[in-house]
Amino acid sequence: MSLFRWFNLRRLRQAPGRSLTTVAGITLGIAVVIGIQLANASSVRGFATALDAIAGAASLEIVAPGGPLDEERLRDLPWLADYGAISPIVEGDASARVGRDRYEAVRVLGVDILRDRSFRDYQLLSFGGGSRQPAAQDFLRLLIDADSIVTTEVFASRHELDVGSELELSIGDTRRPFIVRGLLRNEGPARVLDGNFVLMDIAASQLAFDRLGRLDRVELRLPEGRPVAETERAIASRLPPGLQVERPSRRGEQVETMLRAFQFNLAALSYIALLVGLFLVYNTVAVSVMARREEIGMLRALGLTRRGVLGLFLGEAAVLGVVASALGAPAGWVLAQGAVRLTGATVNTLYVTASTDVPPLAWGHVALAFALGLGLSVVAAAAPAIEASRVTPLAAIRGGDRAEVRARLHRTPLIVGIVLLLIGWALSLLPPVDSLPVYGFVSAVAIVFGIACLVPAALTMVTRGGRMPLIRLFGVEGRLAHGNLIGAVPRLSVSVGALAVALAMLVAIAIMIGSFRQTVIYWVGQTLQADLFISTARRASLGAQPTISPELERIVSSHPAVAAVDRFRIVNLTYDSRLVVLGAGDFDVLLDHGTLVFKEPADGRAAVRSAIGRDAVVVSEAFALKAGVHAGDWIQLATPAGTRRFRVAAVYFDYSTDRGVVTMDRGTFARYFGDRPPTRLAVYLKPGASPDAVREELMARLGGRHRVFIHTNASLRNEVLRIFDNTFAITYALEAIAIFVGILGVSGTLLTLILDRRRDLATLRLVGADRGQVRRMVVIEAGLIGLVSQALGLVGGLALSLLLIYVVNVQSFGWTIQFDVPVLFLLQASAALLVATTLAGVYPAQIAGRIAPIREPDE
Amino acid sequence: MRYREEVPLLEAVALTRTYRTGESTVPALAGVDLSVARGELVAIVGPSGCGKSTLLHLCGAMDRPTSGSVVLEDRDLGRLADDALTRVRRERVGFVFQFFNLLPTLTLAENIALPLMLSGTRDSEALTRARHLGERVGVAHRLAHLPQQASGGEQQRAAIARAVIHQPALLIADEPTGNLDSENGARVLALLQTLNREQGLTILLATHALDLATAADRVVHMRDGRIVRIESRPALPEMNPAAVGSHTGSNC
Repeated sequence: MSLFRWFNLRRLRQAPGRSLTTVAGITLGIAVVIGIQLANASSVRGFATALDAIAGAASLEIVAPGGPLDEERLRDLPWLADYGAISPIVEGDASARVGRDRYEAVRVLGVDILRDRSFRDYQLLSFGGGSRQPAAQDFLRLLIDADSIVTTEVFASRHELDVGSELELSIGDTRRPFIVRGLLRNEGPARVLDGNFVLMDIAASQLAFDRLGRLDRVELRLPEGRPVAETERAIASRLPPGLQVERPSRRGEQVETMLRAFQFNLAALSYIALLVGLFLVYNTVAVSVMARREEIGMLRALGLTRRGVLGLFLGEAAVLGVVASALGAPAGWVLAQGAVRLTGATVNTLYVTASTDVPPLAWGHVALAFALGLGLSVVAAAAPAIEASRVTPLAAIRGGDRAEVRARLHRTPLIVGIVLLLIGWALSLLPPVDSLPVYGFVSAVAIVFGIACLVPAALTMVTRGGRMPLIRLFGVEGRLAHGNLIGAVPRLSVSVGALAVALAMLVAIAIMIGSFRQTVIYWVGQTLQADLFISTARRASLGAQPTISPELERIVSSHPAVAAVDRFRIVNLTYDSRLVVLGAGDFDVLLDHGTLVFKEPADGRAAVRSAIGRDAVVVSEAFALKAGVHAGDWIQLATPAGTRRFRVAAVYFDYSTDRGVVTMDRGTFARYFGDRPPTRLAVYLKPGASPDAVREELMARLGGRHRVFIHTNASLRNEVLRIFDNTFAITYALEAIAIFVGILGVSGTLLTLILDRRRDLATLRLVGADRGQVRRMVVIEAGLIGLVSQALGLVGGLALSLLLIYVVNVQSFGWTIQFDVPVLFLLQASAALLVATTLAGVYPAQIAGRIAPIREPDE
Repeated sequence: MRYREEVPLLEAVALTRTYRTGESTVPALAGVDLSVARGELVAIVGPSGCGKSTLLHLCGAMDRPTSGSVVLEDRDLGRLADDALTRVRRERVGFVFQFFNLLPTLTLAENIALPLMLSGTRDSEALTRARHLGERVGVAHRLAHLPQQASGGEQQRAAIARAVIHQPALLIADEPTGNLDSENGARVLALLQTLNREQGLTILLATHALDLATAADRVVHMRDGRIVRIESRPALPEMNPAAVGSHTGSNC
């Protein structure tokens, strides 16, 4: 142990630059992984806590597929009460106006308070006598009016509300003032969305949400001891077609499934930064072994066993790993704050309303950090440590093994690299596992390591081939840099490999995103043909979507410039235990005005025309891929009228959601799901009408009663791209970190090489090189390293981008992206990175310049 | 037969050099006076740690004295800035070491040409001259090889070629044969003598080897950072006693 302290720890302390660089690299890697874990957890947690808080004591619930269930149908189910207590529920999202132009999302729960009290734990804060457990009739009195609401003390204190205050809620497109009659303590359902919760009487909520006579679900609380699964089966067998019995937890599971692909991809990306960090550990230990062969030989000569040497160097890696883990976990929490801000927007826009709070660092995360940091560091150090254990005592006598300087070009890594690339290619052909591109990512890892293995060969090739150009360009410094690089190929390979891998990922992701963006731009141009798009101010997370009121619809269609209105209705539907979007639109209007881009059949428009009035649907590509259906196949959908078969008339490209969309004509929809108000309007104007002018006029006509978003075609396209860019901001952030770690590695390696070459540099100074010449030489080396990394990164990135586009994306999201290389961006990024790596050589160059022409007095 | 100038090439006066290692200071040179005439071959001998290398470093513009002065061709090296010192090394001094110190990543030809290249000579010309010189020192067959592919003697001869390619006024050699077998040692000695006699190159060398010392015009004995005795070759007239100064017999 004391040998370890003397031999390894002191060394780490003596070379603080290298130790710090390595620790910083692993720390960042771990921080990114932990950060993304936390960010992912936060988006699920926000939703899950909301679900738990609202679910209360219900063990089962009765729902109708695709939306509200008719109250009338409850009358047919008097037997339901035999199984336990029942409570009908209306639930929805609304915007609460909390400032002049500030709105916050609130969850609204409409309950029959007399029935519901045994389901949920309501505790009133301020109430007449100060009692915290109000009697049922007290509650009844609170919610007697259609404009009475109860909110939470947390929400009230945040926005300075009190009992008797007025609160404006926008539900659907309509604004309405409500009176706060009571405040709930921060218990039970009041904890939903950090207190953004409103309780209403069920009838009042039906009125407010325009769902008279309809319920979102009926909850069922079983008496103690009654088995849930058995009861579920019993109820299911007695329910009429079109009604389903489910467990409340299923909604949570569905959300997790929905977010899974998104989060899986983020997590996979986050491990890349860690991977790059691990290259650093390998590098540090490898360099340490190479630089200390003599000392190791001496230790062996003095009687240290091979296992002892192995232990020393594994221990060195472990120390680095432990320090980095200890720093990485809290750093991850800090990173998560940023990540949540970046991903939260995406999750909110595309999936569900999620909280933006980062959960506290749990022991699990700390354990993960240590498992990753310590475990992987030791693994990364294994190869060089084994090499160290093979050093013979002779090494001590021979003196510094200078013969090693120009190591022969090993064929092994080249062959391993090629084999890995082939394996990567083979893996990319495998189908997804549980609709996650597991093999795709394993393939990516194989490609990444394959690229890394090609580095020695590439470095040798480039340095050999680059000799003359270097000498021409940079004269004697170029010649020297060239010689140094050739000599340092074995040592440089690892850090160049790490940087190349990070760059390859950046290139791949840039190409993927660039292609995706081009595809989306094309798709938007084809698909968004309407002049104006009208939607409610708040998208619903799950459950019933906010709707457009008939009044608003009338105002819009009566405008003289309006030629046609496509009323689009979407509901959430479960298909094959996944949540998909069921849409209903006017196919006639769509055929006349809009254009979908069809994947199959060739004549998609004719297929759509044939679907009108029939039990037929058109589905998005994501749906078709995930459900494994093609045009002409039949699918079964659960409808309020029972399960029905629909023919898939056509498959169209859609990039609005990876959940999969099934669209049917409004007529067909009405037949099975009832004629419901639309959730979006697409407005086509008469020729010559100005969209902006019409938009202004409509806004004026809507006045203060309604709160809606009216996008013109141009502004919606911008909005789509804005959302797109937001979604991928986190990806770039992760990549930037990986590259930073990579550059750190190059700088660290150069520094090591310089310290290691002290004697040569001193000789150089002796024979007359001035400081400037030495510095220029080192900077040229750094630039060359950057160039090689860059070249490999570009080639590898191209391969990886194909994988991302044609395998990972298709398997996890189910959409086709047209390959498109963002040349300008790649050129800019390449130039920037070349500058960055060259700059990474500046500090080592300074150090090199300071080396004096004589060595320390050792005479 | 020997050509001597009145003004010495190198003049060290009351030279001291103290190294600081941690808290302690180590006096490596404790007051040395030495004058070297043009064309002279001076050997410095003494036990390890007597200050030989330090003296060579100071005379070769590699380091600055703590006190005293060392003047090389009218330049007071102690007063020069780093860049000027570099220029002196590049133009007026050549070095040969015990461990050859060739750059492992350059071929012998490139190693030999390096001083010329560093001072801006065109590469092709520098390499031509290097090859020419390489032939003269007997490493013609190794010019395209890397140092580790050549024998110790070949490396040292290449190192000597590198040291003189820019026609320096002074060659500093620190144990040039210390790492060679006797045969190669003899060849290197012969080469140094040839350079000294035929081209009038002034050589200041530190050595343990007797044959090397006996080949010198003068032998300077050092101990504990001081010169204790200076012997002139019997064939040559005795040195001016002033050059030896008061150190004679003081410590030795």
